Amino acid sequence: MKQAVILAAGEGQRLRPFTVTKPKVMLSIAGKPILQYVVESLALNGIRNIVLVVGYRREQVFDYMGSGEQFGVDITYITQERQLGTAHALAQAKAATENEFLVLPGDNLIEADTIGQFVAIKPEAMLVKRVDNPTRYGVVTIDNGMVKDIVEKPREAKSNVVNTGIYAFTTEIFSFIEAQLDIPDVLNNMLAQGEPISAQKTDGTWLDIVYPWDILSLNDAVLRQIQTNLGGTIETGVSLKGLVSVGKDTVIRSNSYIVGPVVIGNNCDIGPNVCILPATSIGDNVVISPFSNVKNSVISDDISIGPSCIIQDSVIDKGCVIKGHFTACSDQADVEVDDEHHLVNIGAMLGEGCSLGNNVVAQPGVIVGNHCQVQALKLLSGRLPDKSLVF
Amino acid sequence: MCGIVDYIGDKQAQPILLSSLSRLEYRGYDSCGIAVSSSPPRRIEAYKDAVRVEALAKMVPQLGGTAGIGHTRWATCGEPSQVNAHPHCDCAGNIAVVHNGVINNFQRLRQQLTSEGHNFVSETDTEVIPHLIEKYYDGNLEKAVEAALRDVEGSYAIVVLMAGEPKLVAAKKDSPLIIGIGDRENFIASDVPAILDYTNRVIYLEEGDIGVVTKDNIKIKRDGTEVSRKEHKILWSIEEAQKGGYEHFMLKEIHEQPKVIRDTLGEYTSSAEPVVDLARIRDEGIESMLILACGTSYYAALVGKYIVEELLRIPVRVEIASEFSYYGQTLARTGAIVITQSGETADTLKAVKRLKEVGCRVVAITNVVGSSASRIADQTIYTRAGPEISVAATKSFTAQLMVLYWLAMGYSKADARRLATMLLGLRQLPSKVQQVLDNEAIILEHAKYLSKYENVFFIGRGINFPVALEGALKLKEISYIHAEGYAAGELKHGPFALLGENTPVIAIVAQDNTYEVMLTNIKEVKARKSPLIALAEEGDEAIGELADFVITVPRVDALFSPVVNTVALQLLAYYTAKERGCPIDFPRNLAKSVTVE
Repeated sequence: MKQAVILAAGEGQRLRPFTVTKPKVMLSIAGKPILQYVVESLALNGIRNIVLVVGYRREQVFDYMGSGEQFGVDITYITQERQLGTAHALAQAKAATENEFLVLPGDNLIEADTIGQFVAIKPEAMLVKRVDNPTRYGVVTIDNGMVKDIVEKPREAKSNVVNTGIYAFTTEIFSFIEAQLDIPDVLNNMLAQGEPISAQKTDGTWLDIVYPWDILSLNDAVLRQIQTNLGGTIETGVSLKGLVSVGKDTVIRSNSYIVGPVVIGNNCDIGPNVCILPATSIGDNVVISPFSNVKNSVISDDISIGPSCIIQDSVIDKGCVIKGHFTACSDQADVEVDDEHHLVNIGAMLGEGCSLGNNVVAQPGVIVGNHCQVQALKLLSGRLPDKSLVF
Repeated sequence: MCGIVDYIGDKQAQPILLSSLSRLEYRGYDSCGIAVSSSPPRRIEAYKDAVRVEALAKMVPQLGGTAGIGHTRWATCGEPSQVNAHPHCDCAGNIAVVHNGVINNFQRLRQQLTSEGHNFVSETDTEVIPHLIEKYYDGNLEKAVEAALRDVEGSYAIVVLMAGEPKLVAAKKDSPLIIGIGDRENFIASDVPAILDYTNRVIYLEEGDIGVVTKDNIKIKRDGTEVSRKEHKILWSIEEAQKGGYEHFMLKEIHEQPKVIRDTLGEYTSSAEPVVDLARIRDEGIESMLILACGTSYYAALVGKYIVEELLRIPVRVEIASEFSYYGQTLARTGAIVITQSGETADTLKAVKRLKEVGCRVVAITNVVGSSASRIADQTIYTRAGPEISVAATKSFTAQLMVLYWLAMGYSKADARRLATMLLGLRQLPSKVQQVLDNEAIILEHAKYLSKYENVFFIGRGINFPVALEGALKLKEISYIHAEGYAAGELKHGPFALLGENTPVIAIVAQDNTYEVMLTNIKEVKARKSPLIALAEEGDEAIGELADFVITVPRVDALFSPVVNTVALQLLAYYTAKERGCPIDFPRNLAKSVTVE
């Protein structure tokens, strides 16, 4: 297998506000977009000819991935103008593929080991994995190593083996894509016509992201395996424990206390007296002022956090300016997404470019849209649409 | 202004020359050609025409040979045509030359050579060079080139290929030329992107150098004695010179701006030692500052005037470099800054030489490491924009502004509190610019509207006056719509006569001390029935009632408003040109770096 098609066109509506300006594949986990993990896994397995099917907010993918040279791969971009499903997306790539190729979702976190054996498999084949909550996925029935059928999001699962969305195909697949909009429908159709599809199981990392707080669990999973690397300036009196990575030109000022796993990007200014606890990712160009305490959170680029803030189990998107004494404590919260209620333990989810005055308190589970402005001394709860003004 | 690329090694020269030439088209593209030296038989085979490189590649037959020269032209002397395209040959067709620059005394040389029996076929100045070399050749090509150049007055980067001589001879004076070092092969080119596919090891030739390049040896001489020149490693990758998913380099480069700002910030804020301490310049008794530039860089310089005057409280004079030669009295006690993206802008270089003669200390701001500007200035600050391929400058403008902010802020004795809020503003800037890019769908709608008009005015005040000039320049150069940038208060001194329902006005409305009077200007324009598009900060409600259309940009410190406003206007120009079907990356009659006066 020398070629791979990555499906990277999807929006990820349930991940709003984080997917208003970027596609789901560009959500940042431990300092890198999800798509980059997929591309790097392929490169590590010797697959360097990559076809990226892009659509929604594709400029963000172009800007980051470029020609792929930086990641040791060659990228060909194919545009899916309207997001009509995974089979439709794959069909767009027909002219760019030859012989045998892998198909992977760009929005699942896939590590090199996960696909290590799969790259040598004979098509047509599907990679499956045992999971705890199979009803979220396509549940696969397997007999003697062969796929029997795929049932999407069943009410009751017959097994806990699910489709990872990672396939090995030959160009034959294109003759089966007709009206079907998703790949599992195409495969069920092939099975009905007696075409064999083999199944291979993996124990490697394969993590899906559906809701905003999933960013935290993915971040936690990835951070456990980071390489420590200390760039920038670490002033005297700073304590660093566990796996900590600090980017170049970053300053960590005296008496800061950092317990890994923690990743801090380039050109940040942190401290003095800042406490960062596991598992936290901090992007580039971030300022965290004295006496702030950040725990198990994802802080994106160009963010300024004022003094004495408490930030727990939270996701803060790029460009937010947060003044002093912001409190986002974590607790169990009932969060509504698409009319579904979820009981989760989270702090705050902040969209990009928000501006928060002094002493704002976020109730657990609040989801703040992009570019919201909040005056001092306000209590935030529930869900705030983009560009809300809280006066 | 032209592009040169040459190869000598073990491989076939033709495909390498053609692919490298296509990377140099930003330097000019009205005609192109290649010549290859074959052996045996020992002869030169040349092929050229007034077409783009892509078309030439389809027309040219296979020319066998492992040494060759190539050229892409932007006509200065002689119209674009097949005979005027380079390479040019001598009478016997044994010597082929590619040239970038201008030979001032070519008329006299040509008459003389004609009277000596040489036969000229083109109208170019270049053609005298192969004939001069032919005249002086007595078995040593290098000596013949040296002798020929002694007769020549003007600027040149030339490369000479001769049948039966397994080498390339290069010479440089006032036009750029580099040598690329490969493994059992070497390259010569006008600029680095041409050869980045093959090597990233580069030697920059200095003024007056003559290089003799064979496939495994590079010898550089100056005034007859051999000299050594340092090898540079180019850190940008070829990927940065490709389009990466975008339809045009211009859009790709517009989208790179958040990254350029972020990279620049890290680079400058972290360096412990300032390259140039403007505050020290002031302390040394320099009472004023002079900034010189051309084109878009000139508008960056005009913004720089506001930045430096605001933060350092010293008067700043900004001059167009191409006019500076004709007046521009300057004292030695003036701090001088020149801004040139390519570092090769002929007018700017000429001005630098003049400033140095007066005794000024000259700081160059340029995007190209090792460029001519960096070699003649006292100090050089590099912008971190990476290679800019689109003829219309975008990210280099933003990178120039970043340098100017950094120069004025980092080392000024401005109020520490003011600096702290400004630094915070700078850190936010990449996200603010990204926000402008994320809203490009709205700008596209306005572009569709604008594309139907043939005349447009851009107005601004204060620090956004230069932005109006830059917005108009972007629009006119790529969409071919006649656009004029004006200081808003100046419209009533004449241009009012041109306003009306067929002349839209784009007003840049900043939230600073110009706001109130700008609203008055807008009312004046509306009274003349011109459609009005306002570029205004988010949250500005008053403007919605006055303007026909509003493009909102994120709120930033007034000093940084030129950055977000310019990015919005770049997008407006891009989508307007696209709507009109213009060849955006290579607008007619324009070339990327202007290396002639």
